Amino acid sequence: MRTHPARHRLRSRRGLATLVVAGLILAAGAGSAGAAGTFRVAVGVELDTVDPVQTTTTTVANMVDYVTETLTMLGPDGKIQPWLAESWTVSSDGLAYTFKLRKGVVFHDGTPFDAKAVKWNFDRLKDPALRVPIRAPFPIKETEVVDASTVKVTLTRPSAPFVSALSWTTSAMISPAAADKQGNDYKNIVHTVGTGPYVFKERKKGESFTVTLFDKYWGKKPTYDTVVFRIVPEAATRESLILAGQVDLIVLPPVADLPALQRNPALKVLLAPGDRTIFISMNTTKPPLGDVRVRQALNYAVDKKAIIQNVLFGAADEMDAPMAPSLFGYCKAGKYEYDPAKAKQLLTEAGVKPGTKISFHHPTGRYVQDKEASQAVAGYLREVGLEPELQTMDWPSYISIVNAGPAEKTVHQLAYLGWAPAFLDASQQVLQYWSAYHPPAGLATTFYKDPKVDEWIMAADRESNPDKRKELYCDISKKVWADAPWLFLYVQRFPIVYSAKVTDVGSLPNEKFSAIHARPAP
Amino acid sequence: MDLFRQYLAQRLLASAVTLLGVATIIFLMVRLLPGDPAQVIAGVLATEEDVARIRTQLALDRPLHVQYGLFLTRLVRGDLGRSARTSEPVLGELRSRLSATLRLAVVSATLATIVGIAAGTVAATRPYSAFDYTLSLTTLFGVSMPPYWLGLMLIIVFAIHLNWLPAAGAEGGASLILPAVTLAAFSVALIARMTRASMLEVLGQEYVRTARAKGLVETVVVARHALRTALVPILTVAGLLFGTLLGGAVLTESVFGWPGMGLLLVDSIFSRDSPMVQAIVLVFSSLFIMTTLVVDLLSVVIAPRIRYG
Repeated sequence: MRTHPARHRLRSRRGLATLVVAGLILAAGAGSAGAAGTFRVAVGVELDTVDPVQTTTTTVANMVDYVTETLTMLGPDGKIQPWLAESWTVSSDGLAYTFKLRKGVVFHDGTPFDAKAVKWNFDRLKDPALRVPIRAPFPIKETEVVDASTVKVTLTRPSAPFVSALSWTTSAMISPAAADKQGNDYKNIVHTVGTGPYVFKERKKGESFTVTLFDKYWGKKPTYDTVVFRIVPEAATRESLILAGQVDLIVLPPVADLPALQRNPALKVLLAPGDRTIFISMNTTKPPLGDVRVRQALNYAVDKKAIIQNVLFGAADEMDAPMAPSLFGYCKAGKYEYDPAKAKQLLTEAGVKPGTKISFHHPTGRYVQDKEASQAVAGYLREVGLEPELQTMDWPSYISIVNAGPAEKTVHQLAYLGWAPAFLDASQQVLQYWSAYHPPAGLATTFYKDPKVDEWIMAADRESNPDKRKELYCDISKKVWADAPWLFLYVQRFPIVYSAKVTDVGSLPNEKFSAIHARPAP
Repeated sequence: MDLFRQYLAQRLLASAVTLLGVATIIFLMVRLLPGDPAQVIAGVLATEEDVARIRTQLALDRPLHVQYGLFLTRLVRGDLGRSARTSEPVLGELRSRLSATLRLAVVSATLATIVGIAAGTVAATRPYSAFDYTLSLTTLFGVSMPPYWLGLMLIIVFAIHLNWLPAAGAEGGASLILPAVTLAAFSVALIARMTRASMLEVLGQEYVRTARAKGLVETVVVARHALRTALVPILTVAGLLFGTLLGGAVLTESVFGWPGMGLLLVDSIFSRDSPMVQAIVLVFSSLFIMTTLVVDLLSVVIAPRIRYG
C-alpha cells in the first residue's frame, strides 16, 4: 500500500526537471551517515513472514528476533543460556520440562508475559491447522500453567535437545492479546507483537522492515532508536550500498570481492563461523558408490583447501567431522588430505575403470559459489580418471531430483548440497545419516544405512546425560567419517560487512548477525 | 463512426480471446515446471502432513482439468487466490507491487519519449553534423547495453563515487532516477533513431518545401508541419515499447531492489508460488494487450487513413 499520489505523475518537461532537481537536493543528504539513532541493514531476502512459527529462513528469523524473544537463547559462544525462562528442570523420564519464567516482562502492547502466554504460544505451535515449517524439533504434547511464572511442558517423546530447540525463532513468544489486532489473525500474524528490545513499526513488502526502540524493555537497552532492514536481492547492489555509506551493515557481499572489501579501511569484514556443512551427497544405492573404497577415493581426490582459497575466497573452513564445530556433540573425526595417487589406487582396487561416467547434479544460486565449486570438484574428479557429467539446475527443480525416493526412483549419483541444522545440536545433523530419514520420509539423500549408527542416533536422542550424549555423537561421527557417505567439503562461513563507524557487531554461529547492541564507534 | 465501432468491438473480442489463451498457457506452464510446489513451499524441514495440507490447499491433488476449471471460474470472479508462500491474498500484494512497477515504467516511458524525440529531431535537422554522429554513437551504445550492466555502472558512478543518489530502494524521488534512466536507455535510443529516420524522410517532402517557401520560420516548419507527420510511426513504437519496459523491469528491479512486480515474479518462480506467478504473468500480459489495443485505436484516431480491420 504504498502510493505516492502526485509525486511522480509527470505531465511536462518542467515536471521532469523539477523532479531531477528535487532528487538531487534530496540525494545530497543520502551519502552522509544516517540520522543519528538509525541503524541501517541490507539483507538479500524478502521477509516471507513475520510470524515466528512460520519462519524458515535464517535471515528472516534474524530480523524477527529484534521484535520477539525465546525462552532460551543461543549465545555468541554457541552455548544455550536462559532468556525469557530463568531456569528449568527435567523429569527423570525426560518427558516433562518445568520452566521458571522471568518476571516483570511485558509484551509491546502491555500484555504481561506469563505462564498463560507461554501456554497459548506452545498450543499454537503444535496446532496442526497452522503452517509450521520447522515443527519437528518441538514434540510438545501438552502445556500446563502451574502458577503465573511457572509452566510445565510435556513431550510426546523424550527429546534431549528440546531446550536448545527453544532458542530458535519458531518458538518465540508473541502477545496472545494482539493475535486478532492490526490485521493479525490466529493463523497468520502480519504485525508481530513480542517482548523484544524493538517494536514492529512498518513493513513495506519487497522493500523494507522498520523497528523502533521499546521503552519498557526488561533487558539492556540498545543504542539505536530505529533499525531499518532493507531488502536488496542483488549482492552487488548490497555491496554498493555499504561502499556508498548508505547502509551500516550488509550480509553476503559478492564473495569474489571479499579481498577488496577486507582492504577497505572504511569497512570491517566479519567471516562469521557458521553451521552449514557443504558436501557432495553420494547415492550409495548407485554403483560404484556402494563401495566404501570409491567413496573414500573421491574424498582424497579433491583439494578442498584450494577450492576454499580460490573459489570461496576464504569464506569456508575444511570439514574435519561430519558436522560443524559449532554444534553440541561435535568431535574431530579426521581429515581426508588431498592425495590423487591414493584416490586412483583405491579406485583401481574397487575395479572402477578410467573414464567411468558419473552423474553430478548441482544447484545454482543456493549456496555461496555453488556452481563454481561444483565445476572445480568435477575438475578434480576428472584428474583421477572419472568422467563427471555436470547438470546445473534451479533450486526447486534440483531438490525434486535429489530428494526423490525411495532409492529405486533416484537417478542422481553425486549431488552438491548444504545442510544447516535447525539449531546447534548434533541431533539435527545426524538426521543425514539416519536410515529412517531416507527420502521420501526425510532428506538423507545418500541412502546410507548402518545399523550401528541408527542405534546410536536413537540412543543419543533419548539420553539426558550431556556427556554420554556427546560420546554417542562422537562414535557416530567417527563411523560416518570412515564410511564417507559424503564427499566432505567445508563449513561455510557467513560474510558480514559493516561500516568502520560502528562497533559491537558480532555474529551467532548459525548464520545470524548480532547487531542489536551495535553502537557508533568511539 | 459505425465502422469504428465495429472495429472497436472486433479488437476488444480479439483481446479477450488472447487473454484467455494467455491464461491457459500460464496455467499449463506453471504446472509443467519441475519440482513439487507443495514440498518447496512447506520447506525442507516440514512434516509430511504439512506438505499434504498445502497440496490440498493448492488443489494439486485434483485432476488437471478440475484444476483448470477452478482456475477459470475463480479468474472470472476476479479471485486470483492466495499466495502459496505467504498465505495472503495475491491481489493485495500485487496492488502495491504494480503501483511501484507502473511508477517506474511510466517515468521511464515519459523520459524515453521526450528525450528520444527531442534528440532525434535535432539530429535530423542537422544531418551528418557532430551532434548527429555523437547521437548515433550514443544510441548504438544505448540499444546494445544490457540493463543489468548499465544499472551497476550508474550505481558505481552516481552512488559510490559521486554519492549523489541512492544505490537502491524506493525511498523518495531521488531513488527513482537511476532505475528510470537504466530502464529508459534502450527506449531512448530506439526512439531517437526512429525519429531521426522518420524526420529526415518527412523533411525531404514537398509540402515541407512549400511551408518553407511560404516564408515560415524553420522552427515552425519542423515542429508544426514535419514532426506531426513523422510522429505517427514513432507513437506506435513508443506504445509498444511500454510493454517492453514492463518486461525490462524484471532485470532493473533486481539490480536496484525496486519493490515492483518484476522482483516479485523472480522470487515467486524460485519458490514455486504458482498462484502468484499466474497472477503476475496475467497482469503483465493484460497490460501488454491493453497498450497494444490503445496504440491501435490511437493510430486510427491520429491518422484516419489507417484502414480498420
